[in-house]
Amino acid sequence: MTATMLAPTDLRGAHEALAGTSGPVEIRGAATAADWAGAPQPAPTVLDTSRLTGVLAYNPADMTVGVRAGTPLRELQQELATHGQRVAFDAARVARGATAGGLVATADSGPLALAYGSMRDLVIGATVVLADGTVARTGGHVIKNVAGYDLAKLLHGSYGTLGLLAEIVLRLHPIPAASRTVRLDGELPVAADRAAAVLASALEPVSLEWADGTLLVRVEGTVEGADARARELARLIGGSVLGDDDAEAAWARHAELVDTASVRIGCRPSRLAGVLAECGGTAVAGLGTGIGTVAVAPERVAAVHDVVTAAGGMSVTRRRPGNGVGAWGQRPSALRVLTAVKNELDPGHRLGRGRFEAWFGEEEARS
Amino acid sequence: MLDAAVREALTAAVGAANIVSDPVGLRSYECDGLTGFRQVPSLVLLPTDTASVAAAVRVCHEHRVPFVARGAGTGLSGGAMPVADGVVISLQRLRSVVEVDPVDRRAVVQPGVTNLDITRAAAPHGLYYAPDPSSQQVCTIGGNVAENSGGAHCLKYGFTTNHVLSMTVVLPDGEVVTLGGDSGEQLGPDLRGVFIGSEGTLGVVCEITVRLLRVPETVRTLLADFPSVTAAGEVVSDIVAAGIVPAAVEMMDNLAIQAAEKAVGAGYTLTTPAALVVELDGPAAECGEQFEQVKAICDRHGCTRLHIAGDAAERARIWKGRKAAFAAVGRISPDYIVQDGVVPRTRLAEVLGRIEQMGTAAGLRVANVFHAGDGNLHPLVLFDADGGELERAEELSKDIAELCVELGGSLSGEHGIGTDKACSMPRMFGVDDLATMDRVRSAFDPHRLCNPGKLLPTPRLCGEKPGRYRPHPLEEAGVIERL
Repeated sequence: MTATMLAPTDLRGAHEALAGTSGPVEIRGAATAADWAGAPQPAPTVLDTSRLTGVLAYNPADMTVGVRAGTPLRELQQELATHGQRVAFDAARVARGATAGGLVATADSGPLALAYGSMRDLVIGATVVLADGTVARTGGHVIKNVAGYDLAKLLHGSYGTLGLLAEIVLRLHPIPAASRTVRLDGELPVAADRAAAVLASALEPVSLEWADGTLLVRVEGTVEGADARARELARLIGGSVLGDDDAEAAWARHAELVDTASVRIGCRPSRLAGVLAECGGTAVAGLGTGIGTVAVAPERVAAVHDVVTAAGGMSVTRRRPGNGVGAWGQRPSALRVLTAVKNELDPGHRLGRGRFEAWFGEEEARS
Repeated sequence: MLDAAVREALTAAVGAANIVSDPVGLRSYECDGLTGFRQVPSLVLLPTDTASVAAAVRVCHEHRVPFVARGAGTGLSGGAMPVADGVVISLQRLRSVVEVDPVDRRAVVQPGVTNLDITRAAAPHGLYYAPDPSSQQVCTIGGNVAENSGGAHCLKYGFTTNHVLSMTVVLPDGEVVTLGGDSGEQLGPDLRGVFIGSEGTLGVVCEITVRLLRVPETVRTLLADFPSVTAAGEVVSDIVAAGIVPAAVEMMDNLAIQAAEKAVGAGYTLTTPAALVVELDGPAAECGEQFEQVKAICDRHGCTRLHIAGDAAERARIWKGRKAAFAAVGRISPDYIVQDGVVPRTRLAEVLGRIEQMGTAAGLRVANVFHAGDGNLHPLVLFDADGGELERAEELSKDIAELCVELGGSLSGEHGIGTDKACSMPRMFGVDDLATMDRVRSAFDPHRLCNPGKLLPTPRLCGEKPGRYRPHPLEEAGVIERL
């Protein structure tokens, strides 16, 4: 089956792409998360967002930006940087061209999540196109807004199953004057111990990650302030402050490990080190956030799901094991109402088949 | 009226000791903080645990009885107004702090715990709960979840939704589920995110796990007077342009200052046209450095008096003046309406000018208190009900909220839509936007039993609006296009 490729360039085109077709549709951005979660079932129509790009509204003084959702975040960051601003978000795959919408749809996050959360915490508005072509707006262009349901959050982590994110509005933060990274080489139990000391201090790290043998702690602020806190952190954990080049290299290695992981997991932060130790393989651990990744052989994935589930956590594959083991380690507690939401927004189950495997009904998984 | 079988089933669900049915007792639940909207409920339930909330909701679902969950009743949008022939489920007896975990920096609390009591429980560990609505001494975390409450410090720290990790929720058919999890990781779409701020229309929250933050090393607060609201607004712009993210930036105009001073005597200057409260927090050295920058910016814009809080007591006094402002307006006017709208911060001066014109045209005074950092206005429309000004005041207040939408903002920054603004929602959202929200509501509550009539406009509430197509205000403004 050769799929029809539709690549709208604006909201009208996105509306027409869904209103003017029938049958299953796969929504695809930069395809940087194509191997994550359940495998998309082959669909007769592929809605490609890679031309749905561009900044729609940017007033630096308001610190918000509206963009078409297919805009690669990397490109947006470059534009924002000329005004000293950024989207405070640094998931590894941003460097590979991930789109703003794709990062929302897959609930991705990076080391900065310790201070700024994930895209759900930064999205303040969205325009969504539903499976029947309905165009719905939620939120707006102001950071403080409680009018109506927050559908942008509902779409966060929806993997293209509830609707197409056509446009999104993000809140921005100033780019700090300085960023410093402190490094300590050591095994995970030692790193977890030091991380606890960092979290108990008033040093306000924005990132606190252990990446396969290396603990990296990042602070941001004014030049003098970040320097002073970095020195204090180095004393506290017995590590050293990295120069800019070394810091960049250390974080690039971190991103590479995340990019090559096979499972992403989340649990209580204090349990993460123990969970990862049981999982085996090569791990990256967000010791403040409780979110980590692990690279294991395909035959170990089922065991990883079990370990995480036993610790009350969540797990999802980022590389298909190809041995019949499920992508999702758990089902959501509220699956019944989630299915009802799916049925209301996409009654024909056109969108994103396979991404959640059989959550929304066995027929779908078979068809 | 509820029939006897339903009363009996509800009594069995929560226990006879946890029911209010006498007329006098019921009257105390007839409204929330927006006292203009009143409806005496048929019955009030005061369940003592999640299981009895679920049992009561199942009875309501089975018998198609509408129900309204209620916390402390401090809401300002009529979100907790009861429904005729319905029941109120008060969460006031679910008020334990279940757990404070200083290692993972989180607390597990029941919905009837007050916002401030979370911080009190966390304080021995050097932690606190960040969102701080002005009513934090009495408002409950359950109500905060329903309204996605903010507060003065949300510019830097975000809203309730950014601080709730997970919740135990009773869905409108009585099923008990968990939304969210132990970390930010998600299993599929973020139902927690859509539930928070749904104003009690998608279920009843029975237990909440919130993030706690480390108390910042330093807090610096200043109170600065300016010759005009415009000058104070320029200070806010310059602070933002300097790359500083203050913990809070609050502005008050002269009327609000007069009221607050009469009420609490917090040391504000009675004659100043405008005052700013700026608070920075964080690591001591950086906080100090940025505080000097803020002082310089204030001077540059003609600051006429700069008062720096020397200690925690002085800081508390400055905040007392700010937080007392709403209630204090009662000192300078027999009656008043608190409005809550948002504009993009850069349009603050414009919206204030327009509000002044509108007030003059209506022959009414408007006092302004607002979270200047995030463009969230709280105009207080002053009137005299005995002088027959109520209707004019309500009209002016509604027009101000709708003006915010016209300027690219929102109908509400933190008080919610509730009963009060449901009929204004079509000013902010198109038919398809609202229909999509209604589809989500249908998924959770197909029988419309859970806080019905709130948040989304209904023909019964707002009247049918048939007739020819009229362009939406946002279409006319070029913000949206009709497809």
